[in-house]
Order: sequence, then structure tokens, then C-alpha cells
Amino acid sequence: MRLRLAVEWVLIGMFATSILVAALHWKGTASFDHLLYDQLTAAQRPAADGDILIVAIDDPSLLALGKWPWDRKLHARLIRKIQGKQPRAIFFDILLSERSEPQADQSLAAAMASGPAPLFIPLHFSTPGNNGHDYDTIFPVPAFVQAASGLGHVNIAFDDDGIVRRTSLCFAPDPDGKSWPHLMTLTAKADRADITGPRCAVPRLIPYSHRGSFAEISYADLLAGEVPDALIRNKFIIIGATAAGMGDNFPTPNGEGGMLSGVEIMANVLAATRRGDFIRPLSDIPTYALSLLPMWVLMIIFLRFRPQLVLTISLATLIGILAVSILLLTNRIWFPPGTALLGVLMVYPLWGWRRLQAISTFMDTELRSFDQSDDMRVWPISYSQATDIVGRQSEALAHAIDHMRDLRRFVSDTLADLPDPMFVTDPDDRVTLTNKLLDERLGVDIYGRLLTDALDLMVVAEQRPQVDRYLGQPPKKDQEFVRFVSPAQLTFVMRRSEVRSDSGDLRGHIHYLTDITALAKAEVDREEVLQLLSHDMRAPQSTIIALLDSPINADAKKRIEQNARRTMQLAQDFVEIARMGESDFGGEDVLLVDLVRESADSLWPLAHERGIRFSFHDTSDSAFVCAEPESLHRAMCNLIDNAIKFSPDNGVIRVEISHHAKAYVAVTISDQGSGIDADILPALFSRFATTRHQTGRFRGVGLGLAFVHAVITRHKGSVTAQNGENGGARFTVTLPEARDE
Amino acid sequence: MRVVIADDETDVVAFLKSIVEEMGHIAVSYADGNILAQALMRETFDLVILDWNIPGKDGIALLKWMQSALPDHPPVIMMTNRSAKKDISDALNAGADDYITKPEDRSVVAARINAMLRRNAGAGAFDTEAVYGKYHLNRLDQNVTVNGRSITMTAKEFELADLFFRNADRTLSRNYIMETIWRTNAILATRTLDMHISRVRAKLDLQPENGFRIFTVFGYGYRLETIATSN
Repeated sequence: MRLRLAVEWVLIGMFATSILVAALHWKGTASFDHLLYDQLTAAQRPAADGDILIVAIDDPSLLALGKWPWDRKLHARLIRKIQGKQPRAIFFDILLSERSEPQADQSLAAAMASGPAPLFIPLHFSTPGNNGHDYDTIFPVPAFVQAASGLGHVNIAFDDDGIVRRTSLCFAPDPDGKSWPHLMTLTAKADRADITGPRCAVPRLIPYSHRGSFAEISYADLLAGEVPDALIRNKFIIIGATAAGMGDNFPTPNGEGGMLSGVEIMANVLAATRRGDFIRPLSDIPTYALSLLPMWVLMIIFLRFRPQLVLTISLATLIGILAVSILLLTNRIWFPPGTALLGVLMVYPLWGWRRLQAISTFMDTELRSFDQSDDMRVWPISYSQATDIVGRQSEALAHAIDHMRDLRRFVSDTLADLPDPMFVTDPDDRVTLTNKLLDERLGVDIYGRLLTDALDLMVVAEQRPQVDRYLGQPPKKDQEFVRFVSPAQLTFVMRRSEVRSDSGDLRGHIHYLTDITALAKAEVDREEVLQLLSHDMRAPQSTIIALLDSPINADAKKRIEQNARRTMQLAQDFVEIARMGESDFGGEDVLLVDLVRESADSLWPLAHERGIRFSFHDTSDSAFVCAEPESLHRAMCNLIDNAIKFSPDNGVIRVEISHHAKAYVAVTISDQGSGIDADILPALFSRFATTRHQTGRFRGVGLGLAFVHAVITRHKGSVTAQNGENGGARFTVTLPEARDE
Repeated sequence: MRVVIADDETDVVAFLKSIVEEMGHIAVSYADGNILAQALMRETFDLVILDWNIPGKDGIALLKWMQSALPDHPPVIMMTNRSAKKDISDALNAGADDYITKPEDRSVVAARINAMLRRNAGAGAFDTEAVYGKYHLNRLDQNVTVNGRSITMTAKEFELADLFFRNADRTLSRNYIMETIWRTNAILATRTLDMHISRVRAKLDLQPENGFRIFTVFGYGYRLETIATSN
């Protein structure tokens, strides 16, 4: 893509350059340039030179003096009349290349030579010249040449459109090696020697004053003496034809509705010479440079800037070119901007077109390769058949974008619905993606956090080192996963895998979590079962076996029975606890106070035997709980049984049923026994803790308290134990109240 | 009292129902032996009037099942078209408490039912005053005194206490209690019954120390148990 564009760029540059060079060489933009030049110069015309007076051979003169050519004596009279009024110089612009009557010629020559002001006459050229010359120089009759103060050409140059804009101030050397100055230069010099005409290699452009703005008097009027002397004194007098019929009229820029007479053009040339403000056309090399430069600048800009900007820059360049041209013109230098403008106008669409073409081709290739890479083809892409290539491409692109969008959606949906929690981190170890399950399971939002911060929230502090060790190990891992416990006491296994791009760069990591809380619990359970079988159940059995070796008296019998019953009770409790974990909770409304009372009632014989009394305090206001009555009853029985067991004879067991917090009911059972050993208090309700402590108060309690804990937990309540202020144990069961809807 | 009629002939059922209800008792009927058996397990009745030829499980089979499965079963009156001496003796041997051959006079049937209910109601069930351990019940005043101390109770609470004392050591189904006390088949909010029993228990302080305990049979009903105390 880049290379192709670079080639296109060079080709466009070369193509445009050659077009521009051709245009410059063959003046392809001349019409435009002329038009522009005319408009620009029209805006600022010099005021007419007041020192110049035109004596016009106009239509009224022809009417008064008869038809042309006139008798040269007439001219002689005129010249003498003018000379008599002290003009500064006279330019006599009338063709004198043939002889007329000798007497008349003599009279004119004499008048011309009379002075005091210098008098100049023109010489002419005829093109093409004889003998293979470009032109022949046609001199006036020698008598006149001698009589005149100077001889020079009055050549004007016609542009391609036939308009007179310039004049060659000096004419190339003729075959005789003589180079003629412009007559107007001579005229001006005659007045002020310091005036140097401009170098004359290139024709100069004439700054025209408004048509008719030079002072002009009629030949006939002057001859008739109707002109005041003051009008002529100290003036440059130009005598020549202005009458329409005389053929000495030329088209000039902004001719303002007519042609300009040769004499008026000469007046303008003279004025410009005197002011020294001819406009010089820019010479070839700078012209070429200025014409090509903007185009290339633009080409370089094309490479650098965004397409939207390029249009603005192109327009700015166009204006810039015009501005430069105008600026130069005010400095009397003419740079035709047409070609430069053409370059800009040409290169912008060219480049746009080629680039579009290149992009189109690129897109086509890419789309084709996208279409063919079917490693993630979840849905088929269907192309409708648009007729044109751009239509097809846009459609293909739209499809590709749709496809990517679907794919992204699909991926995020898939991630969100993954059966396990997961999250993704970027190479900077920031969490960039999480799924629904992760938020749910962890109960924290780690999105956008750094991995270390996220782990602080996810992992209990003690296990951070092992997690860090796992994450810190090199890619080729020895350890496939790490196990940790979350602050919410859920157990997870985390696996991490790397994500790499096609080119092998690390894009980040995916972390998969698996909630193995149930599994971990099962492990603990199995441990406990093993403990139960290996120790707790074996111990009484071995006692029995040992007792069997001794004589079986009444005492031995009693002890054997005790041990057998203990084993039985253990097995029974164990089965019940296990069963509870397997079935769903099916509660019904139960009046808690009655349930507690009945539990006490059923243990009354046991209490009664030892003179133990119950003291009930019910402030629960007939609170109901949603309960499985049998198991809750048994749990209460266990607690009361426990209290009875450790109460002293004739003691009182206080049973309190009261509201606890909002929407909870509490049952508190306090005895007057010796209390609970502090060392086993924390683990009192864990399933096998009690059986492991074979000394002290809880010896032989079996699974009773574990059962209580299991039941109360199942009822979404809690059970706690503590020692009362006056000694004795106090168990508190808290259950959610079942409100009557 | 609550009488269950087991017969598949609607005329007979209507006839018996009218007799029972005329006497101020409650009548429930079943037309299938198996369904009756299930009802007997779940609920309390004071008398069963059993047809010999009932679909599902016949009368004799039901009698034998009740003997073995329900030691505390209500008395049974067998009703049948059969009048052979052998049939009568078979039925009585199988556990029936009385025997009526169809067709029988309305007044005779009423008398037989009444006699059976009275016989089963327990000693002193219909006296105006009764003594159960520490508790003196005066049915006219609906009043209970304990050790000479009178206990204030509502009518329903008294009836409930009376029902329990009269049926001491007999398990009463929740339905039985509700229909007997509230005279309705409509299902009361279960909490109403629980709370009444709780109040009776609390007011009369029915606990082993006082010679009685109310025992909940989960999923069935209640039983007032008398406790044999040493003193």
C-alpha cells in the first residue's frame, strides 16, 4: 500500500511537471494570463503625462485640409509653427520613406532642421526582409534623415491575441549590425540625458493610461493658429494620425471600446520611459521555477496531511499564487500565474483519484483475505451483487464490519455467560475485561484495577504469597494452577494463560477461576469421616473389646453398653447430619415458644430425676419461625439435654425466648454448670471438634452440637455459645421470624 | 364428635349423614376403602360406620388393617345387607364394635350410633363437672380451677382444653380439633390453632411438673399426655 502510493506519487509528479513545462513552452495558458494581466493593470493605471501633447491628424483635420497625403509644405508650416512656440521635443510620426515634390521635401527638411527643439522621425521595418533576412530596415528619405535630430524605431509587439501590450525598446541588430534605439527613448533622452532606457533584450509591457487622457489638439486647429502658445511650450509634441481612416490604430488591453492610435501608444511609451515604470516580464528560469514550485509543494503536503486539510491547502495555494503574481506586478514585474494555477488544479484531483484507486485496490485485497481467513467463521457472509466496483466494495466492507461487530458481541456474550468466572488483564497487568460470574462470585468489581489491587480484594491475605508465586513464574510453568480462598470464604482454583497476537507480541493474560468451594468442603467432610471412622468410632469399640477380656460383671456390662450406645449415637448423628445436607429445606410455620417448651417437656424426666427445673421467659409474642419441626425440635432437645447434663443437681435452666434484632427470634438456654473450656469454645460447633476433646465438659457429647449447628444453619439462623457472667454455659439460637402475610 | 361414613351408595350415605348431623355431630364420608385408610392415618375420628362391601378395600380387610396398623383406632360399626350369624361373628371377631344390618329403622340406627359415641367418650365426658389431676373443669360455667384458683379463659380456649382433657392420651388431628371446636370445614389459618393451643398451654401451665404435657405430633396433630409423677 505504502510503496504503491509512493510510486503513484512520483508518477503523478512527473506527469504534472511535463504537462506544465509543455504549457509554459507553448504558452498554453496565455489567454488566461492575458485576461488576468488586463484586469490587473486596468485596476491601476498611471495618470497621463501632462508634458506630452499629441497633435492629431484627425478627421476634422482631414475635413479641413483635404484628403491624405497632404502636401509636405503643410507639415513644414506646422513644424515651424510649433518650433516657434518652444516645445521640448518633437516626434514627427509620419512615414517619410518616399520622396514627393522636391520643393515640398526641401521645405519640410528645412523646417525639421530649423530647431530649436530636437525633432525625431521614425524608421520602419518590413518583414519578411529580402535575401532571407528576417526583416529589412526602411529608412526615411536621406534628406529628412539628415534634417532630423535622431532616428529610431517605433516598433510595437503584438501578442498572440493580436493585442498590443508590449514594445521592444531596442530592436535586434539588423543585417548591417546596427541596432536601433526606440525613438521614445531618444525623445526622452533629448530632454534629460540621465534617463537610461531599460535594457532591451526583452520587450517591455506598456503601462497604459486611460484612453484619450493625453492632451490632444487637432492638426488643423494648430495650423490655423487657434492654439495658445502656452499649450505647446515645454511640451513633448507627438505629431501623428489618429483619424479612423488612416490605419494607424491598434487594439490595446482595455481599449475602452476602441483602438488606440499609434501616437497615443507612443505617448504612453514616452510617459513610461520618463517615469521608468515599464513592466518587465519575468524571465524564463524564474518563471519555470515559480510555475512548478507550488505543484511540488502541494505534492509533498499530500504525503503529510489528512485529505480534508489537503483541499483547504490546495485552495490556499491557488490564492497564494495569485497573490504572488499581484505582488510582483506592483513591483513592475509580470509573472503569468496561469501555468502554476493549472499545476495545482491538475495535481489535486489527480492525486485524489490515484489515491482512491490505490485504497480501493488495497481494500479489495484486504477484504478478500479477510473473507478467506475462516478461522473464526461463526456466521456466513453473503454478498449481494452490486453492479459497480465501489458499491461492491462498500458492501463487502459493511459486511466485514458487521461481521466484526457480531463477532465482538458474540465473544463478549460468550465470555459473560461462561460457566466459570474469568477476567483478562493487559500487558500492564490492568484488568480490562471481567464476566458477570466473576462479579457475582467475588462480590467485588475489579474492572479497571491493577492486578495486584484486584488480588487484594480477591484473595485472603495469608494466601497472597502463593498466588503471587504462581503468577510470577515463567511462561513455561511447572505449576498449572493456584488455589486460594476468597475473603467470602469461597475456594477458587485460578489458571492463567497468555494471549499473544499473530506476530507473537504479548497482548495480556486470561485468568480462569473455578469455584471449588463445594469440592473443598467435600474434602473437609471426607477428612472428618476418616477421622470419625479411624478414631472416634474405633475408640469405644476397642474399649468394648478390652472389656470382653475381663470377667463380665455388672459394671463391665454397663460400660460395654455405654460404649456401644455411644458408637450408635455417633453413627445416628452422622447419618442425620449427612442427610440434612442432601435434601432441600422444606419449612412450615412453627410457633417457636411451643416447640421449645415441648423440647423441654420431653426431657423433663431426665431433669426431674436430678431435681433440675426449667425457668421459661417468653417475650416473643407468639413468634413463628419457618422450620422443619422435627429437626428443630431435636436441635433444641440437644441443647437442653446438654444443659441438663452439665447442670448441678437441683439447678435451674433458664430458657428465654425473645425478639432479637429486627425480624429475628432468639432462644437462649443458660445453665448453672461449670461453663465451657475456653480452648474449645471457638470450635465448639464444628462437626467433630467435640469428639476430639476427650477431656473436660464435652467429653462424650458426640455430634450433638454439630447437629445443632447444621440444623440452625439450615434454618438460616445462627447458634453461639459463651460462658455466662455467673459461670455456666449460655447457648443462643437466633432464627429469622416468619411473619404472617 | 366426628363420624366417618364409609359407603359407596349415596342414598345410604345421605341417610346416615342426616342422622349424625341431627345429633349435632360432624359427618365425613368416603366411598373408597383405600382413601378411607389414608384418612384414618392422617386424621382423628370418633366413630367409623363401615360398609362391608366398599370398593378398594372391603370392610373386613379394613377392620383387620386397623387392628394392626392403628392401635388407637376409633370404634367401628359395621353396616351390611348380610344377616347370617357367621357374618356377624366374623365382623365382630375382626374388630368391629357393633353391627347393623340394612335396612334398619332411623331411630334404631340413631340410638346405636349415640350409644357407641357415648361409650367411647370416656368417663365423665358428659358430666357438668370433671376433674383431671389438678384441673377442675366446670362445663356449665366454662371455667377451670387449679388448686382452687380460677383461670380466666375464652370460650374457645375452654372448649379446646376440655377436648384435650376428654381425649387425654389420644392423638387428635388438626382437622379434628378445628372442626370440633370451630365447627367448620373451612381451613383456618394454621396459626390460629397453634396460638390457641399455646395460650391453653400457658394459661393452664400444662407441663410435666403439673402432670400433663401437650405433645405435637408433627404433620398430624396434638396429644395431651398424662405424666405419671412419683408424687
